[in-house]
Amino acid sequence: MQTKKLSPLQWVLMLMALTVTLFPVFWILMTAIKPPTDWNASPAIWVPSEPTFVNFKTLFDPEAIREYGVGGVSQSATKAVFGSVLASVTATFLSVLIGLFSAIGISRYGDGNKATPLIILSGRMFPPAAIAVPFVIIFSNIGLTDSYVGLIAIYVAVTLPFSTWMLKSFVDDLPREIEEAAMIDGLSRMRAHLTVTIPLIKGGLFATTMFIFILNWSEFMFALVLSYTNVSTIPVQLAKYVTATAGTLYGVQAALAVLAMVPLVIVGYLIQGHLARGMTFGAIKQ
Amino acid sequence: MLKDSLNASSPETASVTQTPPKAPGTGRPGAGEKTVARILTMPGQLVSLLVLVAPLLVALYMSFTDWSPTRGSLFEAEFVGFENYSELLIWDTRFVYAVLRTLLISIACLSLEFTFGLGLAVLFMRRFRGKSVLFSAFLTPMMILPVVVGYIFWMLFQSSGPVNQIMECILGPDVALEWFKNAPLAVTAVIVTEVWHWTPLFFLILLSGLNSVPENPVRAAVILGASPRQVFWRVIMPMLKPVIIVAFVIRAMEIIKLFDEVFMLTRGGPGSSTETISLYIYKLAFNDFQLAYGAAAAFLTLIGSLVLIHLMLAPVRNQLLEAGR
Amino acid sequence: MSAPKLELVDLVKEYEDGAVVAVDGINLSIAPGETVALLGSSGCGKSTTLNMIVGLETPTSGDIRIDGKSILHLPAGKRDVGLVFQDYAVFTSMTVKENLAFGLAVRKTPKPEIERVVAETAELLGMSDRLNAKARELGGSELQRVAIGRTLATRPSILLLDEPLSNLEAEARLAMRRELRRLQAETGLTIIYVTHDQIEALSLADRIAVMNAGKILQAEETTSICERPDHVFVAGFLGSPPMNLVRGEVSRCGETASFSKEGFALDLPPGAHLEPGRYALGLRPEALRLVPADGAPLSGVVSLVETRGSEAVVTVEAGPVRLNVIAPAHGRPAEGENVGVDIEAGSLVFFGGDSNRRIEAYPAGRTL
Repeated sequence: MQTKKLSPLQWVLMLMALTVTLFPVFWILMTAIKPPTDWNASPAIWVPSEPTFVNFKTLFDPEAIREYGVGGVSQSATKAVFGSVLASVTATFLSVLIGLFSAIGISRYGDGNKATPLIILSGRMFPPAAIAVPFVIIFSNIGLTDSYVGLIAIYVAVTLPFSTWMLKSFVDDLPREIEEAAMIDGLSRMRAHLTVTIPLIKGGLFATTMFIFILNWSEFMFALVLSYTNVSTIPVQLAKYVTATAGTLYGVQAALAVLAMVPLVIVGYLIQGHLARGMTFGAIKQ
Repeated sequence: MLKDSLNASSPETASVTQTPPKAPGTGRPGAGEKTVARILTMPGQLVSLLVLVAPLLVALYMSFTDWSPTRGSLFEAEFVGFENYSELLIWDTRFVYAVLRTLLISIACLSLEFTFGLGLAVLFMRRFRGKSVLFSAFLTPMMILPVVVGYIFWMLFQSSGPVNQIMECILGPDVALEWFKNAPLAVTAVIVTEVWHWTPLFFLILLSGLNSVPENPVRAAVILGASPRQVFWRVIMPMLKPVIIVAFVIRAMEIIKLFDEVFMLTRGGPGSSTETISLYIYKLAFNDFQLAYGAAAAFLTLIGSLVLIHLMLAPVRNQLLEAGR
Repeated sequence: MSAPKLELVDLVKEYEDGAVVAVDGINLSIAPGETVALLGSSGCGKSTTLNMIVGLETPTSGDIRIDGKSILHLPAGKRDVGLVFQDYAVFTSMTVKENLAFGLAVRKTPKPEIERVVAETAELLGMSDRLNAKARELGGSELQRVAIGRTLATRPSILLLDEPLSNLEAEARLAMRRELRRLQAETGLTIIYVTHDQIEALSLADRIAVMNAGKILQAEETTSICERPDHVFVAGFLGSPPMNLVRGEVSRCGETASFSKEGFALDLPPGAHLEPGRYALGLRPEALRLVPADGAPLSGVVSLVETRGSEAVVTVEAGPVRLNVIAPAHGRPAEGENVGVDIEAGSLVFFGGDSNRRIEAYPAGRTL
């Protein structure tokens, strides 16, 4: 059967949906390039008359930030950007590395399938606020509060089910015979996994890494409760600006928001074919 | 069921401690199967144990005490049994409302996201120009981090913001709504934000489901005389059931934990009229320092969501297990 | 429910604006109650033909008529034609009963009527005790029955079967073949049966239409098509082993004609009505006999002997030509032996070198 063409009415619906989808993105991009005079205009200005990148400059200039009266949190975003990169990259690397080993172990040796859906789901169901509570207590006892080590440890633990099950679904796609053939050729089990399995799931490994990066880069609540002065991430910094100024720092906040979302959108487009797999713990393959 | 779900709350430990089945063709040099399996899964288990299971146990213990950080060490705190739990369920209307509100938001979001996602996915089953570009464009919202989404919609819903501007264009000049000062409107804003953010996920999952529907049963139904509508609802949708349930379960889990967007949009206000469970627990623990009480609320939530999700998964459990194999 | 007559008239299906011709001008008329097998290897256009009859695809040109009336304007589902898919395409989310009832339910047939037809159909297929089973729990031949029953329940007057047995295991295949023959007899339907397996076609069909590259090369009674193939492709396709075909040249020297290609020559029996030129010579394996090499019309070396019960297929290499000969199993030659091959009188068949069509080299009535 031939697939039908989109009818004009359906085109109209599609374009309406597209407008609704893209308008908020358009708005944040426009706000980020508004000069300060346009920020608080009422009614709001849609397209700035004189687009400018000054907001991005302000973001990294402590003096300029202070001028806007953000006294209590007179930080530039430099530390937050640094913190986000450090925590996300490190945690992603560790999560994928550990998840890769677990994935091979479970796919090849475990019969972890029996209770799989429920197990992975319940691991994700616990309200993060409740995990954060004991962390705050434990970390304050061993001096890990407000440290990147503590933050990274949580990020790794929280994203591990995702990396494990996403990678497991890629390993599952690979026929066992390939490794068994390598073992017959004299490789030990472990060597067979390292030199045969891993190179064959390169694509999946990349997609998983990017996906875990998205999760880590987006994380907000743990960073919020575990950071004071030493540690910061972009989402926390954004929340602090909004809190400190009742949100009136529009342009600068929007600039920071754009900085936060641009890498994710790029990475997201790169792995869009694997997003469903990641979000569903490998249950839906595309 | 509850018992094994609780056991199961750490993903790795529960699944790998079972003895692996003997694979055929063993007896090669190097480490044996069991050793290799153990080495491979050890780091994951260790991390889960230290960073997820241990804190959970601490929180569980704490939920049976009246501890708060101002009162010395956790282990000196008084054991109060189920007092926190009964307090939450019987007396704490703010908690009960947070639960009901979270459920309301879940139902509204899930049904809207499903409807829009399905509609869009059906459109994408047709032929048209620029499909791949539009596909990416429609996925954009789910790639944006929740905090930023919350912030964007906070701007959009300002009283002088574009949402009101557009509504004034359509409905006349006097509809300046104060979205964040009126409880129903604030909840609506939260729902709109969530729906915008996560409809792409439904779209993505349903589209991949539609694409994997085998062609012949559909053709068979057409030949047997079914109209396109009948084919869609009687043949295609039942085949999508497992996919739809997976999508619902995964989104339900996320909405139960809904925090970031609400934090940016309303902080739970006005009053506590947009407080979700997660936001309430956060406030209990980090604003009021009622840590033990907050932990009890968290465990109640966990148990509730496990039951809920167990029920949602029941109709497709067998199929999911088959697919997992 | 008297079975109608189905006609395919100059049916053509092209894809990609004519770049691909899947069906290339088919003409076929199927009598009421007749079973016709469309036989051909995959990609020959037989499934496309079924899809056009049933209405899943629109012909590029030509017509499809039932009892003389064109059905092209009718959408699929309103043509009174049922199709059973090769992979059964049973609705796995439903029970057997819901599957059988589907066609009637979507037409808003009253409930009691549906109940009655479903019960009847289940009875006919021997599935009465499986009505409440989930379709996804069924085995291959049960799925097949459901697929057929689901179609029969809508009371089509023409039934199309697309490779109905090829997804079954050998044993189930035999049983199902018998079953299909019974259904055919009990329902009296007009049936078109698509297959690539000639044994199936031979055992089920009244008539076989051999298809290749979108064309029907020959459509004839099952009994005669093997003996008198009309086209060189049909000759090389039917039979096990199929007819030996040798392409070569006919030359004349006075009254005697001879057929030759490099390293191979055969004097033709006198009286051949053949112009000199290029031909394909057909020799049925059953019409060849092994004889001592001396004085035989053909001779060569045995390269392979395959026994099949009481008979053996002996492959003889006569120069560049390889001939399959059917010989009795006892007394069969050994591999490597030199043998002669004799040709049964009247069994030579010629096909035109360009037309590939059969040529009556020895008009009927003449004995050789």
